[in-house]
Amino acid sequence: MISVHVRRVGLGAARAFGVPLSATLAFALLTAAPKPARAYDFNIDLQTIGQGYQVRRFGATGADELLTRRRLTQYLNVNVFNLEPDAWRGDTAGARNVLYFDASLRFDTDFGGFMLGRPTGSDEIRELRQSQIDVLYAFVGGRNMGGRVDFQLGRQMHFDLVDFYAFDGADVLARLGHTLAAEAFAGTEVRGDLPLSAPLYELDGTSSGSRDPATRPDQAEQLRPLAGAAIVVGEGGSLPVTARLAYRRMWSATADRLPGEPGSGVNDEKAALTATADFGHRVFATAGVRYNLLLGELDDEQLSLRVKLTTRQWLTAEHVFLAPSFDGDSIWNVFSTGAYRDFRASYEVGLGGEMKLYARGFFRLFERTADEVVPGRTTAHGGSAGAAWRRPGGVLRADGYYDDGFGGRKGGVDLSGRWAVRPRKLELEGRLTGYRWRSDQQPATDVGFVLGTQAGGRWEVGNGVRLHLLAEDNVGTFYRSQWRGLAIVEISASL
Amino acid sequence: MKHRRLSSMMVIACAGLLGAAAGVAATPGTSMPTPAPTPKEAATSPAAPAVSDAPVPSPLIYPAQTIPLRFDHVLHARLGARCEACHAEAASSRVAADNLIPGEAACRTCHAIDRAHPSAVPPPAAPGKATGRCDACHGAEGIGWMPGPDAAAEPPRVTLPHPNLKFNHQLHAARGIACESCHANIVKVGFATRADLPMMGSCLGCHDGKQAVSRCGACHLTEPDGRLKVALSSPATVATGLPAGSGKLTPSGSLRGFDAHGPTFRRDHAQAGRDEAYCLSCHRRSDCIDCHGGVVRPPDIHPSDYVSLHGNDARRNTPDCGSCHRNQTFCVGCHQRTGVASDPEGGLPGRQPQNPFGTGTGLKHLHPPGWARDEGGAVITTPSPASHSFQAKRNIRACASCHREESCLSCHSADPTRGLGVSPHGPHFGQTARCKLMAKRNIRACLKCHSLGSAEIECEGGM
Repeated sequence: MISVHVRRVGLGAARAFGVPLSATLAFALLTAAPKPARAYDFNIDLQTIGQGYQVRRFGATGADELLTRRRLTQYLNVNVFNLEPDAWRGDTAGARNVLYFDASLRFDTDFGGFMLGRPTGSDEIRELRQSQIDVLYAFVGGRNMGGRVDFQLGRQMHFDLVDFYAFDGADVLARLGHTLAAEAFAGTEVRGDLPLSAPLYELDGTSSGSRDPATRPDQAEQLRPLAGAAIVVGEGGSLPVTARLAYRRMWSATADRLPGEPGSGVNDEKAALTATADFGHRVFATAGVRYNLLLGELDDEQLSLRVKLTTRQWLTAEHVFLAPSFDGDSIWNVFSTGAYRDFRASYEVGLGGEMKLYARGFFRLFERTADEVVPGRTTAHGGSAGAAWRRPGGVLRADGYYDDGFGGRKGGVDLSGRWAVRPRKLELEGRLTGYRWRSDQQPATDVGFVLGTQAGGRWEVGNGVRLHLLAEDNVGTFYRSQWRGLAIVEISASL
Repeated sequence: MKHRRLSSMMVIACAGLLGAAAGVAATPGTSMPTPAPTPKEAATSPAAPAVSDAPVPSPLIYPAQTIPLRFDHVLHARLGARCEACHAEAASSRVAADNLIPGEAACRTCHAIDRAHPSAVPPPAAPGKATGRCDACHGAEGIGWMPGPDAAAEPPRVTLPHPNLKFNHQLHAARGIACESCHANIVKVGFATRADLPMMGSCLGCHDGKQAVSRCGACHLTEPDGRLKVALSSPATVATGLPAGSGKLTPSGSLRGFDAHGPTFRRDHAQAGRDEAYCLSCHRRSDCIDCHGGVVRPPDIHPSDYVSLHGNDARRNTPDCGSCHRNQTFCVGCHQRTGVASDPEGGLPGRQPQNPFGTGTGLKHLHPPGWARDEGGAVITTPSPASHSFQAKRNIRACASCHREESCLSCHSADPTRGLGVSPHGPHFGQTARCKLMAKRNIRACLKCHSLGSAEIECEGGM
């Protein structure tokens, strides 16, 4: 992290960080008004990640071989705050009329071989980009403006009840009282086909790599406007119960429109209701349901209970129902008709001396589809248990797991530790892993074991410069040695 | 050579683990929230509770103290002493770092302290009566301190590290909040220690968003950008050899239950993560990207050589692949390179894939026999649990990690010039709400297999 105190940055300076023009202009507009020279505060995180590893490939002779992969990723995270004039802040700094700018940029390049040679020309695989620069998010935000309003303007990502989504646009939340808030947002979906855009939270179901006219490839280039609204009760913890009712719709104009065909189609339309409740600080509950208006069905239901048995013991029970759904342009909404229910439970206990134990289990039930002629395996089950011992000198942890059913069987153990040789300066870490697995689809050939070892450390090289190195070697059914190396450099400096 | 290299790795990894074991075991003290008092604290804090389920303040918030004094709040309260009589500076204190323990001057109002001739001060006339003797108040571990040739030059010192909190006594007093509203337990415990300081639960009685702000940063220390300061330290405890009140501040679960950062939190944080603003009160948004960006494999989520194992998890969708990866871009990146994916032919129809659907061209068979065609090459007409339809209905996301829609169209399209016309629709699909809604809201998906105006595009027609 680099912490910089800068007196009034201009448009050029902001653009030097690779901030999109829209966000830069919005930033400039919002910060142009105050006249007296004063300091903004910057946090800049630089993180360089280099990885080299080997993956199993399926050779032309049918033999297992290793293919080398190399990746280099560079993150640049910028956070500018205290943009608001001093006079806006009132007597509680950081609580009211807070203006800030937040951005994350990523350069990711993927080297390494192809089993059949890198496809080029008309064979090029459009989903595979050797290198790309993404603006993951970049927005100007306001917090508690006028004591009532939060907003974000620019590229932003959100983690809603049961969904992730990212869009370029505006999001405004207004508090209408102590217990009620309303939120509205509008923009266009962030898609991999847009410049400087990562498809991280793009809906699955359609592929920009497709050239098949039947799949209407030009549709991938259409912008997808989205808009939504939400009502929140108990926002900010003002009530023991909170609830949020949200609606979101995304659509796009029809590319290569046929005579008689509608000019646009819905890509996504959902309504979700979520609630949390606190019963006397001992029993906590969350619940949520999502209705997919495009398919006319509930496609996500969740109910969780967490009980504080004592100050050291927790019991959690959970029910999840999930029916996969896709982009409204995708034919997979027709194919995917199965859903599953999960019943999960976990127990945690803290012992003296910072020792914590846990155990968890799940049972999954796949619903049979109406046209299933020969019933197949419809359940899965499993569990895990572990212990963690955490002290200022480090952490020791042991985990074991086993599951079986639809998908296959696997069981393994994992032992890991971290030792602070010199607290905050030098830490060493190690990990031993062993597991066996067997696919239920190819039980004769897709079965094996792996023994893995990891060793590495984190070193604070100097003031604000940290280095993390990790080496991994695995031996197993399909190879006698498979390597992976990871190096992360984080630069922290104050200017 | 490979075995030797493996052995070296094993040795290094084991050394790391053993070192961790030794380091963890050898390091005294604690930095985690809600521990029991340490022996040293207990020795100097008579009222400190033993290990129990009773909540104890986190040493990160109230670092360990040394209070080598004797004092009985119960007795003083019984004698009619009021809080402000001794803690006079509390009413004007604006920061939590202020030392509000009364000085000698406050004691002198009742205790006849004679520094010039301490030995001449008579003992208390009766138990509970005031005396000015040094050892009436000063002392440690049950032994009172009096000046003398065999005694230390000074009484044992009080060490009160600053709490890692913001607190304004003046503001609260000005609003008429009585001392006992927060310190109700003091008059019951006799000797008060950090274990008797107010905990978050009592603060939230008023800081509920209505009577007073419920913002975390109103009480907790904050970074310049408004997030909570989570890396806490207490230099005073280090200097005195007390357990260092340093470490990372994490939720214990007492506030929201699901937010407890226990050993499985990284895997189970979805419930807590629903309240984005709450997470962002401590974390940066980029902290989410560190894992959910899908670039670096988190070893506690995916074990070593996860490539070998991931097929099982992907088909079961546990953990939820989509929370970090978009199947049609992330997964296909590796699958195309390694020959797992079916069609590196640019997505054009009619071109011969180098590793076509379900069978391969002499390459490994990634799908079991009977996946799409029987041994004679004929399209299967009675799907079994081994066939692709069974898997696709349950988790077509796994299919999307290699295939595009045209893989399906090659058989399922209703266009007689390209497909086999195998209908993927279940019985009476045309009468379902799904059919009607899809056709009404986005007919483009239907038109990938069907023609506009054809009979089967009408839902009531039955498809």
